[in-house]
Formats: sequence, C-alpha cells, structure tokens
Amino acid sequence: MPMSRRALAAAVTALVLPLSACGSGGGGGSTDASGKVEGDITFQTWNLRANFKDYFDGLIGDFEKKYPGTHVKWVDQPAEGYADKISADAAGGTLPDVVNVSPDLVAPLARAGLAMDLDKAAAKYKGEYLPGAWAGHQVPGMTGTYAFPWYLNTGPLFYNKALFEKAGLDPEKPPKTYGELFADALRMADESGGRVATLANIPTIEDFGRYGASLMDKAGTGFTFNDAKGVELLTRYKQLYDAKALDARALNATPESAGKEFLTQAVAMNPGSALDLDNFKKQAPSLYKNIGITDQITNTGHVNMYVMGLMVNSRTRHTPAAVAFAHYVTDAEHQMSFAKKVAIFPSTAGSLDDPYFTEEDGTDETRVRVAAAKSLKSAVNYTPVLFSDQMKTALRNEVGKALQGRQSPKAALDNAVRACDRLLKQQG
Amino acid sequence: MATSTAPRTHASRPGRPPERRRAIRIRRQLPTSPWLFAAPGLVITGGFILYPFVSTVINAFTDRRTLLPGRFVGLANFRELLHDDMFWIGLRNSVLYVVGVVPALVLLPLLLALLVQKNIPGITFFRSAFYTPVVASIVVVGLIWVWLLDERGLVNSLLETIGVGKVGFLSDQWLLLLSAMAVTVWKGLGYYMIIYLAALANVPRELHEAAAVDGAGPVRRLCTVTVPAIRSTMVLVAALSSVSAFKVFSEVYLLASPSGGPAGEDTTLVMLVQRTGTGLTGRVGYASAISLVVFAVTVVLMLLVLRADRREEP
Repeated sequence: MPMSRRALAAAVTALVLPLSACGSGGGGGSTDASGKVEGDITFQTWNLRANFKDYFDGLIGDFEKKYPGTHVKWVDQPAEGYADKISADAAGGTLPDVVNVSPDLVAPLARAGLAMDLDKAAAKYKGEYLPGAWAGHQVPGMTGTYAFPWYLNTGPLFYNKALFEKAGLDPEKPPKTYGELFADALRMADESGGRVATLANIPTIEDFGRYGASLMDKAGTGFTFNDAKGVELLTRYKQLYDAKALDARALNATPESAGKEFLTQAVAMNPGSALDLDNFKKQAPSLYKNIGITDQITNTGHVNMYVMGLMVNSRTRHTPAAVAFAHYVTDAEHQMSFAKKVAIFPSTAGSLDDPYFTEEDGTDETRVRVAAAKSLKSAVNYTPVLFSDQMKTALRNEVGKALQGRQSPKAALDNAVRACDRLLKQQG
Repeated sequence: MATSTAPRTHASRPGRPPERRRAIRIRRQLPTSPWLFAAPGLVITGGFILYPFVSTVINAFTDRRTLLPGRFVGLANFRELLHDDMFWIGLRNSVLYVVGVVPALVLLPLLLALLVQKNIPGITFFRSAFYTPVVASIVVVGLIWVWLLDERGLVNSLLETIGVGKVGFLSDQWLLLLSAMAVTVWKGLGYYMIIYLAALANVPRELHEAAAVDGAGPVRRLCTVTVPAIRSTMVLVAALSSVSAFKVFSEVYLLASPSGGPAGEDTTLVMLVQRTGTGLTGRVGYASAISLVVFAVTVVLMLLVLRADRREEP
C-alpha cells in the first residue's frame, strides 16, 4: 500500500505539474527604477522587424554598450492577432519586460496590475514628452500613466486619381469633409453604374468622432455616439450603401480585404500607412502611377491620431533596466532617428518643430510630411481608451443592420450604445 | 485480485528464498507499474482534457475575464445568454449547419464510395483526388473559396459572362452560410468516403448475388442490401458529422471574416465563444457558459443519433 500511495502521489504530481504553467507568473517587480541598470530584459514590438531590423539591432546594440551588463532580447509579433498574443502572454505570466502597445491595449493590462505606473517609476522623464502624448496612456478611472509615448501617426488617406477623373471629379481636389466625401462618392457610383465604390469600410468609432459626434461622457462612464450627429452620419452612410457608393462587402470587410479592393481598383479611397506605398509600387504599378495622398476626412478640423507606446511590465525583475530601455527607445534622439526612417512622428516635446517636419523641399514626400506634422499638432486620439474589441463588434453589428435597412440608424446606435455601456460596466 | 494473490502464494512457500525475494519485489512493484505505464496518458488527459473541462465548468459560473479573476455569479451568465441576440443567432446558425451539412455528408460520400469501390483501371487516381481536400489546410481551402466566390471572383465572372449577373455569395447572410456549408461538405467528402469504403468491403457479396438472382436492380440492391448492411457506419458518419457541423468555426470564420458576416448574422456558437472569450478584455466566464451549452447540445445530438440507431434495430 505505501507504494500505491506513492504512485498516486506521482500521478497527481504529474497531473498538476503542467497546470502550474497556467498561472500568472508571480514575482512582481517594483516601481523603483533608481537602481543599477543591468540584467536581461525582453522587448516586444508590433510588426516592425520586417522593415526595421537594422534600426532596432543598432538601437539595442547602442543601449547594451551604454549600459554594460544589460542584454535585450528583441521579439517581434505580427500585426494580426497582436492583442491575443499579449493576452496569452499576460495570462501565462510570460509578458515581456517592455511591450509595444496602443492606449486601448494598455488599459486592460493596467487594470490587471500588469503595466507599471510611470508617474511613479519614471516621473522625471515626463517633461520630455508632449503633454497630450504622455496623457495618452492614462486610463479613465485610474490614476497614473502606463506607457511611455512612442511614435504618433495620422495615417494618410489614399485615393485613386484615375477613378476620380473617370467620374468627372477633380483628382487634385480630393474630399476633405464628410459632406464632400458623400457628394463625390454618390457621383462616383452614379457615373460608374455602381461598379466603383468610393469606400470599402463601414463607419468606425473614429469616423463618428471625426464627424463631430460625442463619443463618451466626460466622466468616461457611458457612450454617447447615438447623438444627433452620430445618427446623421449613419443615415448618410446608409444612402451610400444603397447607391453602391459603399462597397457591397463593406459589412464584413477587414482592413486587409478593404486594402485588396483598393489594390484591385474596385474602390477609390482607402486609409493606410506610409508602408502601403511600397506595396502599391510592387503589387499594383498601374495604381501606384495614379495614387493620390490626402488627409483623413474630418468635420471637426482635427484628424485622428494613432499613438504608440512602450509599456513596462510591472512584474519585470529588472525594473531599472526595463524603464531605462523604454525611455531610451522613446527619447527625443531615438524617436527622431526612427522618424527619419519611416513616416512616423515623434511624441517628444519640440521635435515636431524640427526643420525636418516644417520645411518643404518641393517633393511630394516632404509636402505630405510637413502637412501631417502640422495636422498632428491639433490631432485627437478619437479611439476611447476603454473601447474594447467586444464593443467594436457590437457597434459594427448594429451599424451593419442599419445599412441593410433592418433597423433605423437611430435604433441601431441606441442598441450599440446600450451594448457598449453594458460591456463597460462589466469591465468594472 | 488474481494478480495480487498469486505471488503471495508462491512467496509463502518455505525453502525458496530467491523466488520469495522475487515475489516480494514483484508484489511491491505491481501497484506502481500500472500507474507508471498509464502516467503519460493520464498527464495528457488530465492536462489537456480534464483540467480545461473542469475549468470551463467552474468559469461558467463566474464573471472571470482574461486578466482578472472572477467572482461566483451563479446562473447569471446563463440568464444573460437568454437575452443575448448574438447567442440565438449563433445557435440558429449552428443548428442550420447541422441540418444542411449532415444529410449531405451521410449520403454523398456513400455514393462516391460506391463509384470508386470498383476495381477498374485508374480508379486509384479518383480515390486520391476525392481525398485530397481532406488533407488540404482549411485556411488554404478557405482562401481559395473566397477567391472563387468573391464579388469579382471566378464564379461571379462566369455568371456575369452567361448573363446571370453577380451573386453576393459572400455579402448575403444566407448565401454566405450556404457557401460555408458547401466548403464543409466538399472538404469532408473524402474522409467519410474512406469510412464507407471500409464498410462496403465488409458487405457479403453473396447477399448482392442472391438479390440479383431474385431480380433486384442496382437501386433496389442499394436500398435493401447495401444500406441495411452498413447502417451502423451511416449512424457513425451521422454522429461524427453532426458534432463537427455543430461546432463549425473555420469555414464560416474564413468566408464571413472574423466579424461573422454582414452584421454578424453568420456567427456560429463556436465563433461566439472565440469572439467573447479572447483578447485582453475577453469575458472568459461568459464564453465558458456558451461552451457548456455547445457541449450539452453536442451530447444531446449524439444521444439522438444513437437512439435513432437503436430504434431501427430489429
């Protein structure tokens, strides 16, 4: 019998052993970043290796040289499923020490106590960044700032000049406001007999913001995008959908499928990033010849700003090294050098006044850069920090029903707000 | 008992110390050895089946989120399900999937198996060809079908050429669901065909010969000889295909996109579990409650199929 008990114990141990990996990894670190900068840390970026491997290898090499005794392991994750990857790492206790995040990703991590409060750990660096950018990673209902601001972008809007010309529109005067966009889109659909749509995406929360709808109440306790402006925007989109000015597949489009529609010249306008230009050049040379670049459509005078940040894992075992590295990557010097490699904009104070962002040399590239830097000064991050993936789905589904005519725009937005408010309450 | 008493009898014999020692050693080892042999299986079953299942059952009664521990909420998640439109849409689509896919997957592979059963030259090529979709990656298959059925895809181009006009295979909620069902049937044909081929090989040739002598034609022989002889295989195919159809995910996810088709109307229950329970703000408790419903319905489906089989037995 003693042997069988031992056997039972062995079996139980064998059963339980793999489960021990399922817990979150304890060993919490401290917010005291004043110690010696040393130790091995892991740095995770968001789809940057393919284009910027040399830049990051150099950056990490310089950091390790500046702080002997440190070793930075760089991991890069693909764009698709990035939130799921972070989520799995966070739940499994394997979250890297320094993580590339956006404000909506940092909010649940901060609530779970996994993001370090930089107002405590790195308060001395606060003045180096634009005040709005530093505040970009604050979470409603919590005190503190949970990521270093990294680069900013507005994301250009691409349009197909040839399709504009074919529809009798001036290719040098793309729409700037939603009113102009709707007029041009209806004309494009009319002239092409419904074969060419202008847009491939249904309106998102950022569209409601840029149209002038109020997104959340001031206390951050409830959504308000079902106001008169919101209903007006959805009503206009319904007209576009009926006139085939909004692509038929928009209801279940993904950014990738919408990009493909634009690439095949079935759609006349699509938002994108500077990286897309290279893609157009390689995959669709005929489109590239006719590509037009303009600012985001807005009625408020403010374009949407995308903010990237670097979060420090609160459970890091090397707080001084992790904080020092996150600051090193995001300081003015390195943000500036990164901005010269790709069309992004630094979030550090004064950097946007650099001649690189204020002086044109006559080329299209500098014209776009200077215009984008100018618009960034008044840009707004329209994505509410607490707007989760589940809320995006709820809004998307209700908008879809309205476009199909299964419910009025007002009813659709009322339902979406109700669903989002319920999810917000459940988030706690 | 027999194994434990036998060595004891030998060990009690006096004057044979080496054997006795061996017997004692065996007796001591016996209780351990089976556990050690079973350990790898137990670890895998416990870690990857038992633990997740028990964990899902427990989570279903909590408000656990991806990064936050849950509190016990009783039946609140199940009460919420009753008022969740997306749950009813998911249930409707999953049930429709079973209704649409299972009859096709029970009958078509049988006909295919009957076709390729004959040993004629070149038949191996057709057997392999019919089986190829089974081994193809579902993601690749999904992408190919998206290219085919897209508004500007091959099928719509052909339809336009013959004057039918474009059909919204991927933009109409019902056509999208039907398209996904077609992919499931197309991909599953070869798998169930192999199962039927094995069953058909066991149907006694004499029965066919006797029926033929009695004047039964091919269709009559199929209905009165083949089908009764392979009925238990058909039940197995029905059971397997209904469970996998109810739990469908990949085909709809790939054709309808992660949003679940226009306004999410093509969402299935498993897609809803994935959408609700994953991500940084995933509602693990609520997703677990949906998973339990999927499990319960699957068990009921299996029982119904087995009951139907038993009822038909003479």
